[in-house]
Amino acid sequence: MADLLRSVIDIISIIAIPLILTAFLGWGVVKKVKVYEVFVEGAKDGFNVAVRIIPYLVAMLVAIGIFRASGAMDVLTSVLAPVTGLIGMPAETLPMALMRPLSGSGSLGIMTELMKVHGPDSFIGVLASTMYGSTETTFYVLAVYFGAVNIRNTRHALPAGLTADLFGMLGAIFITRMIFAI
Amino acid sequence: MLNYVWISLVVIGILAAAGNDIRDEFTNPYRNSIPLEGIIQMDGSPASGMKNIEGELRIPAGAFAAFYGLAEGQEVRQSVRIVPRDDGSSVITIPVGETTPAFWRGMARYGANKDRLTGIVRGISISESRATITFVLDPVRFVKLRAVTQGAFDAAAGAVAIAFGLIGIMALWLGVMKVAEESGAVRVVTKLLTPLTQRLFPEVPPDHPAVGAMIMNVSANMLGLSNAATPFGLKAMEELNKLNPKIGTATNAMCTFLTINTAGLVIIPATAIAVRAAAGSVNPGIIIGTSIFGAGCATVAGLIAVKLLQRLPRFRKDDPGLGEKEVARG
Repeated sequence: MADLLRSVIDIISIIAIPLILTAFLGWGVVKKVKVYEVFVEGAKDGFNVAVRIIPYLVAMLVAIGIFRASGAMDVLTSVLAPVTGLIGMPAETLPMALMRPLSGSGSLGIMTELMKVHGPDSFIGVLASTMYGSTETTFYVLAVYFGAVNIRNTRHALPAGLTADLFGMLGAIFITRMIFAI
Repeated sequence: MLNYVWISLVVIGILAAAGNDIRDEFTNPYRNSIPLEGIIQMDGSPASGMKNIEGELRIPAGAFAAFYGLAEGQEVRQSVRIVPRDDGSSVITIPVGETTPAFWRGMARYGANKDRLTGIVRGISISESRATITFVLDPVRFVKLRAVTQGAFDAAAGAVAIAFGLIGIMALWLGVMKVAEESGAVRVVTKLLTPLTQRLFPEVPPDHPAVGAMIMNVSANMLGLSNAATPFGLKAMEELNKLNPKIGTATNAMCTFLTINTAGLVIIPATAIAVRAAAGSVNPGIIIGTSIFGAGCATVAGLIAVKLLQRLPRFRKDDPGLGEKEVARG
């Protein structure tokens, strides 16, 4: 079962891109679009967009880098640990929940570590991987997407994004507890 | 909001680092200026007097763990070198490598030389090819503040690397997107989803190119094609910005779109599954269902939040979609 699933996922991830390329470009040919010229026309924006996001990305990643390196996470974890017990969340997974919106690579590291220590099929292992899949790296997405169009006043995007993260984490705890019948 | 969160990350980070370092001054976890004892097994004939000594430093696991207050120690078997100085004292040099205990490797990272630990020999007595020594390693201080500095520089360099890494992939997908637009392929999908998109983005005309780009972005995200999703998403932001009368301020549609993205609804969370499989899970795919549920919660809660928050006076007053009068009437 697990092997079948893995090979299905493998196949999807291998054929998805070639399929999309063929479909879109092929349809362009059918519709008599000058594919090469139009492709180049669209592609020339790539450089500008990438360069435009640099200041936003530097600002965001530096702040997160400082926060991560400082050990502030440990302090925050010990402050919040009594609260998490109330909602049935093991204290070990708290750093995962706090890191997820901040850093993709950071939360990936925490997830890997939790699985190594507790086993991937343990309650904590399943919970950590569900948390990882339950939301995105909010701060990164915010910096990149708004940076691309030079938006500095982000209004309610961050509180809304963090609300989504919070409920993603709560949802992950709820469903994982249900599966493990805790 | 972002201003406060951003400065909080920086300030809390620096304060926490300083606090940690001050605590270390009192608890002295690196045992600065406390002598450690060990035995050096020399290779060849016993050295006479205070010439250079080279050999293998041995410290029992228990003694090492007790000295640094570690839960479990690792026996030290480590090549060292002792060199006398002009003033009569001797310097011990411990090159840091694979076999070095993890704790020492960590200490070396924050020292003056990344590849070795150095210290002063306090006492040495040689008999045959064995030498018993006590030594004090050079002090390790301000570990977290150093880490913060390093972290900031690394992040700044990393940000540019990420941005430059995007250039090629951006160009590729923006090109494909343009062809798909010209051929009308995007329009078909856009029309199909109009009832949904109009509800989510009432400010955006249903046939606007932004809608197509947003749909492509969300679809790519759901399929787990994150390197295609970002270019589509940025394209969508550019199109949404064409409808924005107020440069530099986010519109309601942008915030809604961002929220959908930050909730990250994915049908197959490939990264998490891969990590589970690598960790030897008997059922790596078990999290597909739970992740969809979790991300579903995130998406619904995020959308409710974004629609409620946009009515709050403090966010409403900057709404680019409203004229001055409408804001006043609020």
